[in-house]
Amino acid sequence: MHIGISAYFHDSSIALIDDQGNLVDFKKEEWLSRVKGDKSFPRMALNDVLDANQLDASMIESITFYEKPLRAWLTILKYSVRNNTLRNELTRNYFKNIWKSSIIFRYDLMKHLSDATMPIFYSDHYLSHTLSGLFYAEQGSYAAIVADGFGDSDCSAIHHVRSTTDIRTVWTSPYPNSLGLFYSAITDYLGFLVNEGEYKVMGLASYGAPVFYEELKKTLDFHDNQLIVDTSYYDYTRSVEQSFSEKLVTLLKTPARKSNVHLDLDSPNFQKYADIAASAQKLVEDLLIEIFQHAHNLTGERKFIFTGGVAMNSVALERLSKCVFIDEIIVPPSPGDSGAAIGAAYFGYLKKSKTRQKHEKFRLSENLFPGKVDQNEDFFSLMLTKISEPKDAIERVAELISQNEVIATAYGDIETGPRALGHRSMICNAHSEETIQFLNTVIKSRSKFRPTAPVILESYAEKYFNISEKIKSCYTHMGAVTTPLDEVVESIKGVVHVDGTCRIQICDESQLLGKILKELSKKDIFVIANTSFNISSDPMVYSKEDALLSIERMQIKYLLTEHGLYERNS
Amino acid sequence: MILAPGKNKDLLATLVEFGYAEYGSALEMLAAAKSTDSPKAKIGYINHALDEYRHAALIFKVLNIQINQGIGEFQKSYIFAPQHVVSKGYVDKGGFLVEKLDNKKFIEFVYSNEYLAKEAFEGLSKRIKDIESLNVISNIMAEEEEHAGSSLETLEEIMVDEGKHWGYAKKAHEKLYPNANLNKAFRREKLKNKFRLFYFKNFKFLSKIFDPILNTIIFLFGGIVKLLIIPVADSDNLMAQNEHSVI
Repeated sequence: MHIGISAYFHDSSIALIDDQGNLVDFKKEEWLSRVKGDKSFPRMALNDVLDANQLDASMIESITFYEKPLRAWLTILKYSVRNNTLRNELTRNYFKNIWKSSIIFRYDLMKHLSDATMPIFYSDHYLSHTLSGLFYAEQGSYAAIVADGFGDSDCSAIHHVRSTTDIRTVWTSPYPNSLGLFYSAITDYLGFLVNEGEYKVMGLASYGAPVFYEELKKTLDFHDNQLIVDTSYYDYTRSVEQSFSEKLVTLLKTPARKSNVHLDLDSPNFQKYADIAASAQKLVEDLLIEIFQHAHNLTGERKFIFTGGVAMNSVALERLSKCVFIDEIIVPPSPGDSGAAIGAAYFGYLKKSKTRQKHEKFRLSENLFPGKVDQNEDFFSLMLTKISEPKDAIERVAELISQNEVIATAYGDIETGPRALGHRSMICNAHSEETIQFLNTVIKSRSKFRPTAPVILESYAEKYFNISEKIKSCYTHMGAVTTPLDEVVESIKGVVHVDGTCRIQICDESQLLGKILKELSKKDIFVIANTSFNISSDPMVYSKEDALLSIERMQIKYLLTEHGLYERNS
Repeated sequence: MILAPGKNKDLLATLVEFGYAEYGSALEMLAAAKSTDSPKAKIGYINHALDEYRHAALIFKVLNIQINQGIGEFQKSYIFAPQHVVSKGYVDKGGFLVEKLDNKKFIEFVYSNEYLAKEAFEGLSKRIKDIESLNVISNIMAEEEEHAGSSLETLEEIMVDEGKHWGYAKKAHEKLYPNANLNKAFRREKLKNKFRLFYFKNFKFLSKIFDPILNTIIFLFGGIVKLLIIPVADSDNLMAQNEHSVI
């Protein structure tokens, strides 16, 4: 067994890969601690993985941390002491919080796994990302693009993957020239939390026009095959409080949005903020196309792996798929740092086994729910009434959905996230705009500008949506947007975003949502709406206790589990 | 677990601390729900967690009302960010209380802190002027008192069980004199709370002491770091790099 660990910067996680190279468990610390974005050492997740898989230290062949901790810590520190004053808060913060950084990984690990004798590996940060994508890819050669905020020493990289044992860096973008940090700075400017609100910026962008594009291009561009950020517009190299500088405010001639004021379609300056989001989105898309083109030129590859936080930009992916030099783009279900734990575990596996044996029978749709969860729900009977046993539950769920009810699911093992793919979801009839609005704005208390995703069976997908073969695997985990066919737009307009796109999920009949959709097709319902089962600012529901608590907090009437369908007592 | 507002001037910062304290309590109660096998206790803790989550949301609502009324100026640090519940110390990443304390001590802790919370809210309510916010605070106060009451009941139930199961003299004493123990727990929590408040109020002063030390470290170590050549991921095969190296 091989463990991969990601921690200390974004939401921390643990992945477990067995001796045959299969992903057998994956857990994010936030699911257990219930602190969204929990980046501390994943002690609860580690214990849970060991318990759920009945492992002791002697059964673990390797533990791999997803980055080189000292390199990552020194790189930013060196930049900061060279470019900032002694009293600079970023530098001070780096020193003060050393005990919260990845430098102490080994100490933390030993605290929680004191009898560990297995080798402890450190993979390069971007290699972990590339391997997390390669894990879901067929064997062959690829150009791998990694783009996020910051890795060990760089902010983006192109790897030439010749095989699972031969991966070379052919281009990097050194700190602070970062697409991810740029997008986070705009997120901050627009009044959303950094590392949390980036997807809101993407949703908001659809309401705007790129009227600030030229202004933003002055601050970030791709020249002579290098990504260049003008840091006078961005404070992320100087400040821990604010990612943008006053110079950017002057450039955009719009005050930065105060984050305590709810943003909605009728808010003051909504259009300006949407235009800024649209401009940033277009700039990121244009720069990604240049980086992909550069990768193609350097490697000659037409098949790409795309990972890192920026790969969560499902809108950019759709545009990339239209590039003629691209035949295929593979994005792993969890392309951010938490998913890099899978790459780290895979690194340990490859180091130990040298070859990968599992590919012939690997199917992505069968590997979307690796997180093992305790299934005891005896206590539900004190607050819920079971209305269907498992054998009838799907039929009953379909009936309720056709009556425009909302169903929450806490069904068996959990997806890797960040997108809920059915096992921790809230679902309803996508043909009912009113029900979707109710789910989105009343139950989840989300702003109206945030879209809700449609789910469809593979057999119906092309009857409703324009499907790109190049990014087809991304549709299995809501990794990319597409457009609906003109003749169906009206019937599913609740899940069509204002810009005419949908972030679709295509499933097969072996999956829970596929079974429900098959049943619903008898009632002429072919699309359901799906959003994650959590309250804003909470992590996705994990345990049965979380599920019960959340349906109470959100006042959801129905809960589907692997043991049946429940109704909340009034 | 919760800061008493005392006479400190910064009402908004105090409300933020209250909000995180309630949020931290919600997480503690949820952790307790997961740790028990008893369905009845599980539901009890979940209901308690539901209240605490609601309190946290209400306090941040009160905070917004105060800001909208021009009481103090909005700061970014007032925005609720879940991870601050850890960085502010309302949840210990080393372990939830239910993991660190035995069942009885855990309930003693909850009992003490619910009463301390009620006291703190009483202090806070004297400084809030608008009716809507006052109503929110007084409802929370009533519920905190109820939580303390139910903790006491649970504690007494546990002590009866302990007496039944083991019959030790010490346990019997606790069963007979539960309040003596609770008072001790209450005093202990109050003292801890005072230390927390002291740190909160004197943070700037403490920084003045520790800043010169930090400056010296940065000056000395920073000078070395400037000269370091940090290895980068070059064109060599990344899979062949030294997997044991941290740099």
